[in-house]
Amino acid sequence: MSAPLLSIEDLRTYFYSRAKRAFIRSVDGVNLEVNRGETLGVVGESGSGKSITALSVMGLVPAEPGVVTGRIRLKTDRIDKNLLDDLDNHVELGRRRGRIMEVAKNETAWRENVERIMASVRGPEIAMIFQNPKSALNPYSPVGRQISESIRLHTNYRGKAEARERALYWLERVKIDSPGLRYDNYPYGLSGGMCQRAMIAMALSSEPALLIADEPTTGLDATIQARIVDLLAELKRELGITTLLISHDIGVIQRLADRISVMYGGTVVESGPARDVLAPDNDIRHPYTAALLASKPSARNIAAKGRLQAIEGEVLDTVNLPAGCRFYGRCNKVTDAIRAQCAGEEPKLSEVAPGHRVRCWLHAK
Amino acid sequence: MRRRYRQPRFEVEDHAELSIWRRASVIDLGYVAYGGLIVSVVVLSYIAGAFALLPFDPQAIDFELLNAPPGAGDHWLGTDFLGRDILARLILGIQAYFLPGLLAVVIALAGGTAFGLVAGYRGGRADTVVTYFANLIDSFPRLVLILLVIAAFKPDIYYIMVVVGITGVPTVASLIKGKIQFLREKNFIEAAQALGLPTRTILLKHILWYNCRALLIIQATLGMGEAILIETSLSYLGFGVQEPTPSWGNMVQAGANYFLQGNFWPSTAPALAILFTILGFHLLGDGLNNILEGKRGRQ
Amino acid sequence: MKLAAALPIARTLGRELVLTALLLLGVSAVVFGILYLAPGDPFSALLEGQMPDAQAIAGLREAMGVPQTWYGQYWAWLSNLVTGNFGTSVRTGLPVGQELLRVGINTLILTLGSMLVTLLIAVPIALGAAARRRSPVNAPLTLAAYVVSALPVFWLGYVAIYIFIHYFNIFPLAFGGAGSDGKVWIYYLLPILVLGVGNGTLAEIIRYLREEIGRVLAEDYIRTARAKGAKVWRHAFKEGFLIPVTEIVASKIPFILGGAVIVEQVFNWPGMGRLAWQAAQDRDFPVIMGIALVAAAFVRLGSLLQRVVFTAVNPRASQE
Repeated sequence: MSAPLLSIEDLRTYFYSRAKRAFIRSVDGVNLEVNRGETLGVVGESGSGKSITALSVMGLVPAEPGVVTGRIRLKTDRIDKNLLDDLDNHVELGRRRGRIMEVAKNETAWRENVERIMASVRGPEIAMIFQNPKSALNPYSPVGRQISESIRLHTNYRGKAEARERALYWLERVKIDSPGLRYDNYPYGLSGGMCQRAMIAMALSSEPALLIADEPTTGLDATIQARIVDLLAELKRELGITTLLISHDIGVIQRLADRISVMYGGTVVESGPARDVLAPDNDIRHPYTAALLASKPSARNIAAKGRLQAIEGEVLDTVNLPAGCRFYGRCNKVTDAIRAQCAGEEPKLSEVAPGHRVRCWLHAK
Repeated sequence: MRRRYRQPRFEVEDHAELSIWRRASVIDLGYVAYGGLIVSVVVLSYIAGAFALLPFDPQAIDFELLNAPPGAGDHWLGTDFLGRDILARLILGIQAYFLPGLLAVVIALAGGTAFGLVAGYRGGRADTVVTYFANLIDSFPRLVLILLVIAAFKPDIYYIMVVVGITGVPTVASLIKGKIQFLREKNFIEAAQALGLPTRTILLKHILWYNCRALLIIQATLGMGEAILIETSLSYLGFGVQEPTPSWGNMVQAGANYFLQGNFWPSTAPALAILFTILGFHLLGDGLNNILEGKRGRQ
Repeated sequence: MKLAAALPIARTLGRELVLTALLLLGVSAVVFGILYLAPGDPFSALLEGQMPDAQAIAGLREAMGVPQTWYGQYWAWLSNLVTGNFGTSVRTGLPVGQELLRVGINTLILTLGSMLVTLLIAVPIALGAAARRRSPVNAPLTLAAYVVSALPVFWLGYVAIYIFIHYFNIFPLAFGGAGSDGKVWIYYLLPILVLGVGNGTLAEIIRYLREEIGRVLAEDYIRTARAKGAKVWRHAFKEGFLIPVTEIVASKIPFILGGAVIVEQVFNWPGMGRLAWQAAQDRDFPVIMGIALVAAAFVRLGSLLQRVVFTAVNPRASQE
């Protein structure tokens, strides 16, 4: 079994609130692995840290302090490196009672470092698409030109004319109608769905080894969402490209993911093959995953309970982390036997089936 | 260079939002402190000047002590080329711009608020008309317009400050209009109307007092700074108070020749007064702006 | 640019031109209003000055056709203006139009030059501040900019002159005249430098540019550009640099013109500002009126140019 294409180890990305004088622990010890050719679906609510994880991989974390610790190993045909190489030399951590309470980071030096490392990665190795495609594209430039830019930067099609040809090829591939006309359209003149197709074309045109899709259907109309998912499924079949798919919509994940990681409160709480994680009659899963699946509007769910099942409680505040399990406050599967543990100590990921891990005291060994 | 981030407490209170004053950056607080100091000094000096509470007679010529440096013969800021005490003249010089400046500020705020409210609240054609007049007023360089008025009427500082006030209306109006648009986007206005609040209440209490008062205070301080700049420039050009009555501008002008001969102080003292005073008003305005209106991108 | 795209842009520009014309009309109305309301009826004197042979009118007002109604006067004056007839100077008796042309060019040089200087200082500082958001250099630099913006420009002028006289042995006051060593460009340089540094807009320009650049750099599409390994500045240029710079420059033209009045006084620079000062002293209405009009026209021209740039760059602008 060859090494995974992308391997994230103990990634922590924090932000700092001056108003509260506290860290916002968006990504708090995340481990993910994406194997070649597979699509890893990362699912979770807003605020669970999934987008920040993706941004951390790309070196695009928007605020400070940002990534404070971790290892991100990217192993493709062309390169094999730790994208967070040298991080320890720029960061100093201070812990109290096991938790990071102080960070000293040389931001400028670290950014230079990241830019240096990522210069050859962004584009030819990893490409990323974002949500809200209309605002993610440059409003001052025709979409076709933006695709050509990627092509000229990262592939062998350097000339203007051949890059344009290639861009048209990709526009066709993403099933945009009249690519020749659409090439010259500005984002404001295209619908959300078309913009997203264009962005997908742009990402794929640099021929990356890994595609990161951050909420590709969010911000689009429901029917368009389905179309985009169809497109992604088709491209997956045709190109076999390795994908890290992030979404809060479990329906999207269901259709596209080979393996799934469920994130909550900045950590991974469950991870395994899609079949196992999503299996409808599976009792061995994290309570959060169970709740997510039960809350999806579907005929089965409504038949089971008679109404939609929302998850009780509020999204975890990643400033004030509880001492025990992060899901404890909202969990409806706590038993008296393990209550003390759930409240007092955070569970570790334990393997409940081959390749299937859950972070829960109910299933701990 | 390493940035340090510390979380002092494990448990952070849920609504542990510090007040804006505690959250404010040291720099902004410093700006406000300095500005406040300057404003206080100006006001006090104005009062002192109005009641002629001066250390020396500002017109008293003293041939013994020409161009004395600060400290000589009890003159805290020295004397000018005629032996007159500089400090006294500086204090008296405040008379030249203080009340006129206030007039300009009041006009700018009153006019700007009126037009801004109309343009923002009524919108549509009213907005277009107000915008047209705002652009019209903005088309004139202030000094040129003032010179025109001086040529047509007379070099009366109050006339001039009326003009300055009018030229300040567009800025205030556009800020108020912007605030209203902001509130509109937050559905604030719709909500107030839905609650059945009378228009006058919405305008005066909710829009102006709750949401715009910081903005108006800031514009007042900045506007005063502008007025001081204009008055000193005009009196430098010879259109303000005339010698021997001191004004900071004409003091610089009078000392100009001596400056070029190497005698810096008679011109530099009033110039520094102008510098520190205008700086004070600017910093006060900007500091308050950052603290009260919030810099974007702050955590 | 394709023809289909060009037509709506032309339409938008046409609209801007109309607006500018309307504003200039309003400007003329303001100037007219001020002069008309002035005591001593300077307006009729002005109109008389616009007559072809001024001597003949004395005592023959009505016969020569100086209108008596305000709208008649306004119309007569305006028609003369449009043909370039700005009347004759009360002081010199020369046609104002010619005078304005001559001094206007000098002021134009001064204004444009000093705008360039201001930008040369402001842009690097703003870029640096936006790129390094929390550098320790930011605060002192910002404060320095504030201090410089509060300096009275007339005093700064004297400082500059003094330095040049005593350290470089050059007398910058002898404008136009041949210096002993033909270093004529120094005479241009000094006022431009002084106005560029001292026009009082530096702090605000820096702050505005830094804010805009920072705002654009945080936009989604810039993040996409970074994510695909493209050069950020290429994408950020239009919205983050070109537009803000043209916008702030256009809006600060009135301030720089005002500063020019003072700087021309300090350096005895034969421009519109100094002429305006002279005219105000002499109550030379045709001259001061002409200057006010030209200055306002210059401001509106700058504004128009900025709108042109904005429309050309913005794909959506042509849709309105």
